[in-house]
Amino acid sequence: MWNDLRYRLRALFRRSAVESELNDELRFHFDHEVEKLRQAGLPEAEARRRARLAFGGHEQISEDCREARGTSFIEDTLQDLRYALRQLWANPTFTIVITLTLALSIGANSAIFSVIDGVLIKRLPYPEPDRLVRIFLSNSAYPKFPLNPFDFHDFRSRSQSLESLAAFMRRDVQLSGPGEAERLNAFAITSGYFHTLGLVPQLGREFDTKAEIPGNGLQVILSDRLWRTRFNAAPDIIGRKITLNAQPFTVVGVMPPGTAHPGNDYHAVAYGEDVDAWSPFTFDGDPSQRGSHYIEGLARLKKNVTLEQARPEMNALMAQLGREHPNDQGWQVLVIPLDREIVGSSRQLLLVLLGAVALVLLIACANAANLLLARASTRQREIAVRLALGASRARVVRQLLTESLLVAFIGGALSLALALIGVKALVSLLPATFPRAHDIHVSAPVFAFTLLVSALTGILFGLAPALQASRTDPKQGLHKGGRATTGSGQQSRLRNALVVSEVGLACVLLIAAGLMLRSLLNLLHLDPGFRQEHVLTANLFLPHAEYKDDAAIRHFSEQLIAGLKSLPGAEVAGFGSDLPWTGYNENTSFNIEGKQPPPHQDFHARFHGASPDYFRALGTPLLSGRFFTDGDRKDAPKVLVINQALAEQYWPGENAVGKRITFEDNPKEKDWITIVGIVANVKDQPNSPGAEAAFWWPALQIPFPDISLVIRSNTDSPLLADAMRNQVSRLDPALAVADLQSMSQIVAGSVATPRFAFVLVGLFGGLAILLAAIGTYGVISYSVAQRTPEFGLRMALGAQRFDLLSLVLTQAAKLVLSGTVIGILLALLLARALKSLIYNVSPADPATFTAIGFAVIAIAILACYIPARKATRADPMVALRAE
Amino acid sequence: MSPERIDLPQGTLDLLILQTLSLGPQHGWAISERVQQISSDVLRIQQGSLYPALHRLERRGWIKAKWGTSDNNRRAKYYELTRSGRKQLEAETESWHKLAAAVAQVLESA
Repeated sequence: MWNDLRYRLRALFRRSAVESELNDELRFHFDHEVEKLRQAGLPEAEARRRARLAFGGHEQISEDCREARGTSFIEDTLQDLRYALRQLWANPTFTIVITLTLALSIGANSAIFSVIDGVLIKRLPYPEPDRLVRIFLSNSAYPKFPLNPFDFHDFRSRSQSLESLAAFMRRDVQLSGPGEAERLNAFAITSGYFHTLGLVPQLGREFDTKAEIPGNGLQVILSDRLWRTRFNAAPDIIGRKITLNAQPFTVVGVMPPGTAHPGNDYHAVAYGEDVDAWSPFTFDGDPSQRGSHYIEGLARLKKNVTLEQARPEMNALMAQLGREHPNDQGWQVLVIPLDREIVGSSRQLLLVLLGAVALVLLIACANAANLLLARASTRQREIAVRLALGASRARVVRQLLTESLLVAFIGGALSLALALIGVKALVSLLPATFPRAHDIHVSAPVFAFTLLVSALTGILFGLAPALQASRTDPKQGLHKGGRATTGSGQQSRLRNALVVSEVGLACVLLIAAGLMLRSLLNLLHLDPGFRQEHVLTANLFLPHAEYKDDAAIRHFSEQLIAGLKSLPGAEVAGFGSDLPWTGYNENTSFNIEGKQPPPHQDFHARFHGASPDYFRALGTPLLSGRFFTDGDRKDAPKVLVINQALAEQYWPGENAVGKRITFEDNPKEKDWITIVGIVANVKDQPNSPGAEAAFWWPALQIPFPDISLVIRSNTDSPLLADAMRNQVSRLDPALAVADLQSMSQIVAGSVATPRFAFVLVGLFGGLAILLAAIGTYGVISYSVAQRTPEFGLRMALGAQRFDLLSLVLTQAAKLVLSGTVIGILLALLLARALKSLIYNVSPADPATFTAIGFAVIAIAILACYIPARKATRADPMVALRAE
Repeated sequence: MSPERIDLPQGTLDLLILQTLSLGPQHGWAISERVQQISSDVLRIQQGSLYPALHRLERRGWIKAKWGTSDNNRRAKYYELTRSGRKQLEAETESWHKLAAAVAQVLESA
């Protein structure tokens, strides 16, 4: 085997040496033969003649030897390549058009594939990631819900199918001490969290179960970034105390660089290296109370345990818990593979994008095939000569395919350069919340993909023209002296079919882009329930160590309300527990005066808190009743503001203002809370189907430590942000002002994904129609060129210019119309894949289909108009003389 | 007149070349002469098949080639058997004998 390879390589790379050796050898043999015959008594000349006869063809032997060396395939290919290069060099326009078209479309495919490779294909950066799963609960009211800590505790001790189980929840901390106060992305985690992920700290250790005992929680594990930037990568950091939330936390570990957060649902932090600190989750509270759900489960399946085995076990455990605790009844357990959970709905978007670029590539192939067909007719004579000289049809097809493959590979090489740039641009366009953006690179699989796609492309666009060309009849091809008319019936059918499919595919892409544009416009123009202009927001957190009770928080809140009023440039300023469209999701159940919930259900809604001017600052309209006032304080009657969704859900057809609810099961008169106002709906996300039922507590009656500031001003001046920072630091210099952003930025972030989808599909649609227009232009001008004598004749017989124009345009319109009809039918079939990506638009939206249909027809006919004009300039004299 | 000549069956040429080379290194011309002589002119190797066969055997690593000087002082390419060539020769000789014996047996029994 090794010998064989070495031999073939030498034969290939030392070709001339091997050939001349063979020559010498044959010469030697021949001379001996002559010598022998001479010694047998023949005269010199006769001896030579006989030897030559016996010897056979010298060339034939050389050829057979080459065959025996096993290199003839490669040598033929090299010869074909040299020939192909000469051909391309001789037709620069053809070469440039075709390679650029291919480079663009293959490059688009490579770029999208890079994203798909990074997001969908590449394995997550944890050992054996296939065994990692996320655990949620589910019932009819909450399809995907976090776990109760004590349920989690029972799961952990009873489950057999899980190797390890851990839980985590977002719990940001405020780092103070030397340097500016900083709000850190942080999580509370149970012991075994990193063990489950398969990660090991680079210094120290992870939390043990002792850290989960209430009172032991003042420990912290740092990220590599935090350790380096805030602690100078101190090697003796373990055991040191640092100040978090105004309390001393002992550092027990430092995670290595590349510690990726597995993503979470509630108060989401994107997947990736975005978490700076982890502290222990402590199991406070009463283990018999199982009503609150707020931690997220993460588990590693035992080796050889499948999801299908784990699910029934977890559900059986949940049913067992349901028998032990009434609150635990009615839940199902969701066990979801971690990679699917991280990628989420992005999968559908990426697959649609891949489909879109694949269509662009198909159109480019059709274009390239058309160009080759046009050129093949001018090369008919050359091919006829080859066939006449005895080349087999297979050999001709191979030669032509070598040419198209060469073009495809040159295009592929260029496309990689484009992909490198394209991927950078794509990643910078990606929405901030897009999963695994850090994992997107032009890597080895992308190179392999590009190579494969280039090869397929070369065969796809080269095969039909090559087969067609090889069917040239040598006699006819030579006879006519190369005037390309033979076989044109079949050829023009193929060319027309290509144009029809190009127009059709471009139509599909443009319809997809149109649907996405409508969806984006719907999102941008919907009434969000607030006004985004000139609204500045920021988040504060009041640490429990310093703000130990409601009185302390209330005191801060009162001062903050007064301070915000005096901000220069602020029209109205308030604060609430959260901001719209930022993933807030806190829910509670309650009782309604005079109403009973249906059996096994309860009244529930999302809860928020708001200061008196919160709604005014956001611009959320009041529909009925009143907003909170400064009078809604501790000792005043208890009040609530609710949203329209809550009013419609529980008081349909009634006025909810004045109605009372309570959070107590056996309420006394003082426990009843009166609804004083109804505000407009704000959905969770712009594309949520509807708003969740929600209510707000007055900030001064029920104080809350998580504070979101909302300041409406008449400017977007950065001075306002500074003034606000100063105001906060005057109240408490240890507080970190986090997430400083305008409401417009939040809005832009919320529509970033639909915008991204539209921009890309629109870009591909534009490219597609451009290619289709070029293709249509090419076919019509080719046909016009061929029919010039006919047109001349028609003019000589009295046809007007307009007649010729309409003759050509009718021919073009037939192609374009059939393409458009096919495209629309295809789009009706394919648009269903967009269903989850578009908002408030039917995938068969008649307006989009009609508008795009007409636009495609108009563009394609316009592309034909230029060659059609040329037809009208046919000179009758020239035509007649030629015939 | 020379005796009637027989066309070589496929594969037999390789065997003959290997057998000839087992006596010592030879150049192409000598190989064809030797085969012709030993077979009393019954077997004759055409150059058109000899050289491709030599290249094929070399590629398989059963023989190797070296440039040397011939009897009349000319540069000539000498082929010699490699160790794996020798093994191949033994194997092929054995299977040839088996085949020949089997064919003979069938022919005699009929």
